[in-house]
Amino acid sequence: MNDRNDDLAAQSGAYALNALSPEEREAFEKHLASSSETRTETTELSDTAVALGLAVDPVTPPPALKTNLMAMIAQTPQLPREADTAVVADEASDSEDAASAPLSNVTPLAASVSLAADGSAEQSSTSAAAPATPAQTKAQARWFTRPATALAAVAAAVALVVAGGVVADSIGRSSIEQSSFASQQADKLAAINAASDSQRLVSTVAGGATATFVWSGELAASAVIVDGLEALPADQVYELWYIDDSGARPAGLMDAAEDGPTWRVLDGDMGAGDVVGVTIEPKGGSDAPTTDPIVVFESA
Amino acid sequence: MLALMSREADIGVTPEEPGVPATSPQDLLERVAAGDQAAFSELYDQMAPRVFGLVKRLLRDHSQSEEVTQEIFLEIWQTATRFDSNRGAAVSWILTMAHRRTVDRVRASQSSRDRDVRIGIRDHNPDYDHVSETIEVRLEHERVEKAMSRLTGLQRQAVSLAYYGGYSHSEVATMLKVPVGTVKTRLRDGMIRLRDEMGVAS
Repeated sequence: MNDRNDDLAAQSGAYALNALSPEEREAFEKHLASSSETRTETTELSDTAVALGLAVDPVTPPPALKTNLMAMIAQTPQLPREADTAVVADEASDSEDAASAPLSNVTPLAASVSLAADGSAEQSSTSAAAPATPAQTKAQARWFTRPATALAAVAAAVALVVAGGVVADSIGRSSIEQSSFASQQADKLAAINAASDSQRLVSTVAGGATATFVWSGELAASAVIVDGLEALPADQVYELWYIDDSGARPAGLMDAAEDGPTWRVLDGDMGAGDVVGVTIEPKGGSDAPTTDPIVVFESA
Repeated sequence: MLALMSREADIGVTPEEPGVPATSPQDLLERVAAGDQAAFSELYDQMAPRVFGLVKRLLRDHSQSEEVTQEIFLEIWQTATRFDSNRGAAVSWILTMAHRRTVDRVRASQSSRDRDVRIGIRDHNPDYDHVSETIEVRLEHERVEKAMSRLTGLQRQAVSLAYYGGYSHSEVATMLKVPVGTVKTRLRDGMIRLRDEMGVAS
């Protein structure tokens, strides 16, 4: 196995979590077709991801959605069944246009029906809600037409993975030591994102940066994430605030990240309906805002 | 065969009426593949709350979640002919597709940020019902939580941001301030540990 394949094989987790870019996804799927070990591992990790999905609280969709769907399927043709044995070899070398034929007469119909605000079906020629592209469908088909794999190969793959994982872990840990504060912040950010009532708002910051506010009422916690936040002079700092009828409560300081988004989980508990603001304050922060906020989020 | 498959009868479905055993998603999907619209209706009833719950968790926005859920079920109808029960569970097939389509939408709508501004506002007036939490969901939730607690902090953060936040590995990398290569490793190590903890392996 060469370096490139090793690198590809290491993406199995990211692939199972749909965290790869479209180009990487495609490259990985090509690799899947040629490596039974990676295929086995990816199958298992995908099923593990499904377990994460099954832990999410079910929510009943509005009844109109089903009514629409039943009307749509009544006039939507299904893909022809594929000859089983030829699939893997065939698709490994397949190009996108070769795959487009079966769906080409289906896509426009499906794309033309979208949900209106009142839940009824309406015709729209400009709907962005396109169903799977032929390539996606093709990838899906390839993915689920994997051949059965020998148990020995599974065991070998798992052993390899475990050994490799331990080594990589210890290297990573020493070179990228997270401070406990950063780690706590990251934990909280992940928890807010994973909360069942997690919500977000996006706004533009004076100066053009994009700020996202994400919060969970259940956790009484929130975070601000700013893409492209300008660095401040050394004697100034960004300060975050929870604001309610009684005034503004300091909720932490942050400096602009050198690269990538600047983000911070706010200190203290978020109250229902709290407004969140960010101001520029003298170094060390202030007890109450001394400037106008550069961005404000209203959570209610 | 994967452990998940044998558990399908327990996990795939919303509460049935007492005494009326529901047809498994597996059997239904096979009938859907033969063009059976009644089977599709039943499959929808069983799986839609699962799919919509997952989509909504990632997208937040109610009306976008409806659109995507509709796309997913339309795709299930169209591609059921390609589903092979010998090679994976129906519930896995459906939820894998659902997560992927939802993440596609998350990425697509990042370019039109204005749309997101409305999200929180609309979510304040939920006009839909949560299915009362079944024992199956609660057990599944506990199982995942327990397994998650066995991960390192970075693994847990990365997996959680990727799966429940819909972030790409490069977004996760910038948010956690670690190189992309490290995130890939953590996602894999984390998922492997989850797999082992939850007994998903063969």
